[in-house]
Amino acid sequence: MSTSKTHNLPGTKPNRWLGKNSRQGNWWAALLLIVTTVLILLATTDDFATPQNANNLLAQAMPLIIVAIGQMIVIVLAGMDLSVGSVMSLTTAILALDGSPLVLIPLVFLAAVLIGIVNGVAIVRLNVHPIIATLSMQFIVLGIAQILRPVAGGSVPDLVVSLVTGSVFGVPAPVFWAIFVVALGWKILHGSRFGLYLFAIGGGVASGQDDTAHNFGLKDGRSIIIAYVFSALFAALAGTFIAGRIASGDPGVGSQFALDSITAVAIGGTQLSGGVGGLHGSILGAVLMALLANGMNLAGLSAFLQGAIKGVILLLVVAMQSRKKMGL
Amino acid sequence: MASFLKSASRIPPAYFVFAALLATLWLTKPQLMNLNVMGIFIRQVAPLGILVLGQMLVMRVRSIDLSGAGVLLLINYLIASGLLGDMPLTLIIILSLAIGCAVGLFNGYLVAMRRVSAVIATLAVTVIITGFVQFLASGKPPGNMPELMNDIYKMKLGPIPLPVIVWTVLTMTMAVFLSRFVYGRFVMAVGENPTASHFSGVPVERTVLVAHVLAGFFAGVAAIVQSASVAVGSLRLGLEMPIDAVAATILGGVVFGRGDGGVWGPFFGVMCFALLFVVMTSFGVPEPGKQIARGLIILLAAVFYGLNTRKS
Repeated sequence: MSTSKTHNLPGTKPNRWLGKNSRQGNWWAALLLIVTTVLILLATTDDFATPQNANNLLAQAMPLIIVAIGQMIVIVLAGMDLSVGSVMSLTTAILALDGSPLVLIPLVFLAAVLIGIVNGVAIVRLNVHPIIATLSMQFIVLGIAQILRPVAGGSVPDLVVSLVTGSVFGVPAPVFWAIFVVALGWKILHGSRFGLYLFAIGGGVASGQDDTAHNFGLKDGRSIIIAYVFSALFAALAGTFIAGRIASGDPGVGSQFALDSITAVAIGGTQLSGGVGGLHGSILGAVLMALLANGMNLAGLSAFLQGAIKGVILLLVVAMQSRKKMGL
Repeated sequence: MASFLKSASRIPPAYFVFAALLATLWLTKPQLMNLNVMGIFIRQVAPLGILVLGQMLVMRVRSIDLSGAGVLLLINYLIASGLLGDMPLTLIIILSLAIGCAVGLFNGYLVAMRRVSAVIATLAVTVIITGFVQFLASGKPPGNMPELMNDIYKMKLGPIPLPVIVWTVLTMTMAVFLSRFVYGRFVMAVGENPTASHFSGVPVERTVLVAHVLAGFFAGVAAIVQSASVAVGSLRLGLEMPIDAVAATILGGVVFGRGDGGVWGPFFGVMCFALLFVVMTSFGVPEPGKQIARGLIILLAAVFYGLNTRKS
């Protein structure tokens, strides 16, 4: 990693963390918004700074943080995964089946790997646009989840529930989840050769040459397939977390997460056109989304209106990102 | 043999699928094969067919429009909720078309001028409109549709239902518009190569913008026909319609930037959907099965074209 250098236009200073040519994107905008939101919430509501609300907040933010990390892995290489929400639904549906957790949990991750491979192979080998491939996969996976569990219900193994709601030495389990997924995401994106490939592939696409990385001898096809497997795996992890919290299966639980995760990643400064972004930005984006939802809940805003507001935020964020390509 | 296969793969999959579905119905449910029953099946997909006209246009200029779901929901709610009062039918129609065009203009601005990813932009528009309508209705289903609309919907010319005629006439108009007007050439050029089009003097941005406005207009028309087809308004209109429109368009041989299937390929793509739902219902496939079929159709049709266009 230390030998890697960002490419810059002539006459611009390379800066890895801040500024216009940062490879990490404008993550500090999200940080600024978080600070503002927290200050506003502290000033206007009494319920915000309570331990109860802090616990709620972490548990609310956790699934989105996990999915956003997975989503970011594919967005960095100029892809997108719209099937993550359905993978989460499928995960809760599988976990609520009758059976030993030692069978169900591996089954969940096996299913995720399979979905990721199908997405990746369709995109790389069969030349399908990522959005179309994952959009169709979203419906296929949702259909399977609805067959397994037509309506919300069933019960999730105690092991999964205690993994999410339990605590070790007084530290609640979500804290360990957070440490685990952030470490994993950091290793994948910023601490490995594979992560560097992701940025190289995405940067090539963003600059208009789809096969730059390929021409430099990277195994781009294989990396893209692995990236989609990772995004499905993170979605399965998020689904497991949610299943542990609601202790049942629900085929509708993931419906918001595809767009929410894209919003979180985009707010965190990651360019949807590829090649620019940082893990910390996506995490800040997810935390910001959770804070906003928390604040709107505390303010007693209608859930329907909250959905509309999230849509407006998504539109604003993506409209502010510039890209060369028009269309999809 | 190889060249035969190659030329056969240029024919949109919709025609093969349509023939296969027709044969399946013929063999398993011969009692359904008469003009009256078929007319009703095809009438059901008329809103989808009209929506597809717009979807086809935006997909040919390498964009996509998923905001149809929002437009449909909004117009459906406005008509059914009685918010419009005793507005005459012509005014309702004009208002609906205006809403469609306005949403299309907004999409077009975002996609063409701001270069926002079309999927994200139009999906976000649907999310915003859906949230707003549900907030207005506070979760309660709206009231009844005007009876006059339903009466018009049920009219027939000979054996052919009126909505099917409207759909066919609009499709014909579209075919003429795209083949006889300069705009049709622009659409083809932008689809083939936006950069080359730009340097050849084609107004790329304006072409994409107009395509989105037309798609919004067709969404408005589809919303009127859809509203007329039901007696009661609904808040449960989901993303299925625009997704089916994408699937039918790809089935009909129109993929991003390529319009091999023309206007009639997607037309038959929609006809496939008319028969597909009948076949699935008659075989007792439950709703999740339809969900899976929807996804598989898009994926397989996209793979079919992806393999054809792969760089050798």
